[in-house]
Amino acid sequence: MKFNVISPKTKTDLLKAMKNETYFRFGAGYTDLIPEMKKMEDIGYSIINLAQLNDQTFRNIKRGQDVIRIGTLATAAQIVNDEFIAENFPVLHQAANCLASSQIRQVATVGGNLCTASPSGDISCALVSIQAQCEILSESGNLRLIPIADFFIGPRKTSMKNNEILRSVIVPINVKHHEVHSGFLKVGTRRSMECSVVSLAYHILTDKKAIIHKAGIAIGAVAPTIRYAEEAGNFLLGKNISSIHPDDSELFANEVLKYASPISDLRASAWYRSEVLFNISKSILE
Amino acid sequence: MKKNSPIAKLITFTVNGKEFTRYVIQSMLLIDLIRDELGLTGTKTGCLEGECGACSVLLNGAAINSCLFLAINVEGHEITTIEGFSTGEKMDEVQTAMIQNGAVQCGFCSSGMAVSIKSMQTRSRNESRIPTRHEIQKGLEGNLCRCTGYIKIIEAAGEILNK
Ligand SMILES: Cc1cc2nc3c(=O)[nH]c(=O)nc-3n(C[C@H](O)[C@H](O)[C@H](O)COP(=O)(O)OP(=O)(O)OC[C@H]3O[C@@H](n4cnc5c(N)ncnc54)[C@H](O)[C@@H]3O)c2cc1C
Ligand code: FES
Ligand code: FES
Repeated sequence: MKFNVISPKTKTDLLKAMKNETYFRFGAGYTDLIPEMKKMEDIGYSIINLAQLNDQTFRNIKRGQDVIRIGTLATAAQIVNDEFIAENFPVLHQAANCLASSQIRQVATVGGNLCTASPSGDISCALVSIQAQCEILSESGNLRLIPIADFFIGPRKTSMKNNEILRSVIVPINVKHHEVHSGFLKVGTRRSMECSVVSLAYHILTDKKAIIHKAGIAIGAVAPTIRYAEEAGNFLLGKNISSIHPDDSELFANEVLKYASPISDLRASAWYRSEVLFNISKSILE
Repeated sequence: MKKNSPIAKLITFTVNGKEFTRYVIQSMLLIDLIRDELGLTGTKTGCLEGECGACSVLLNGAAINSCLFLAINVEGHEITTIEGFSTGEKMDEVQTAMIQNGAVQCGFCSSGMAVSIKSMQTRSRNESRIPTRHEIQKGLEGNLCRCTGYIKIIEAAGEILNK
């Protein structure tokens, strides 16, 4: 395995490298990239190495008044250790905490998880459920903001252009005085390490009377991309979360299933994936 | 190689308390730097895919897989391998606990296991918090063992982490 590496230390050097290099890939935590490059005979691109970039916007998790900004170089371990996220966005905390192993969480980044655009990306699935925004930086220094739902456009495909880099994801802070019912369920063939067979991210906000005001549902590994199950979320609006009728739970699970187009592969059959998705969807309302 | 080039880069880093400044091939993996260049073969080559943990080393005190890490990215950082655990004849308490609990059989996974346990110990000391048995199991999820059935390893870790 042989390739050229450019290691920018500042944003200016980074943009310069993006302009100068014709064929390149970014390397952040390398947990997707190294296994991929090892399978290649000839690596026809350079690596712009982000691991030595000294830029706080890329690295930090920062809380503002209405949003949290998560730099794309923040690692899964940084997400797990962030107390504000653990309290307010259990779905994101749990997703980061079930990614691979503790060794991998130490280096795997949020940006790598998103930009790999795997249908079973755990952090990505959580971020879709909370409707994060992606902040994309171009080589000329321009920023654009797009909803995460528009970021994933196909299996392993994002809407980013060649001369762009993902800088941050921006998460709207929950409305005050709302209760949070939020979590991440992952069914794999082994408890950790394995990319999931089915995953479900839910982030539901209720008022003091337990009435659902907001419901973000996302599913992973059951379609070519992570899907935001908008109608399933809408179905829950106005209902009381502590007394959902079993029929409604089933209707909800059916709404979720409409977003799935599972395939059969080495890990599981399509039938199994649908059954599991239906059952775990129902279970979050019980 | 004697100068910075697209091929090699001069970097400074610490391994087991000793500082090194040397040219490192840009596409080299950390596991190859440790084993082939520095001759520290206690770190094992297992799956080379991030699954087994035999290649685990400490990066600034936290366990990582050296098979999925670019060597040049240790620049300015501190690496500890299993060779850095004992001082002279004296073994580290993690090693002693593993031996006393019968947590070592063929030994192939043992350096990686010791590294993961050390990583948890450092963290629990920094946070002044004892991990639960569940957390210990979770901390060892990235280390596979073909021999012991894990129970004795978890017990050794529990003994160390409950101190
Ligand atoms: C053993 C093993 C188990 C795993 N288990 C899981 C799991 O349980 N759940 C899960 O979700 N994933 C899992 N993964 C996949 C991987 O660890 C994650 O996707 C991780 O988040 C990738 O991050 P990284 O920093 O390592 O990415 P890298 O490998 O550095 O990069 C991945 C891709 O993203 C691009 N990229 C990175 N950062 C940026 C950026 N800022 N802007 C633009 N492009 C960028 C790179 O060019 C590359 O194409 C596993 C991997 C391994 C090896
Ligand atoms: S050799 Fe690195 S995890 Fe198996
Ligand atoms: S002791 Fe043999 S692999 Fe663990």
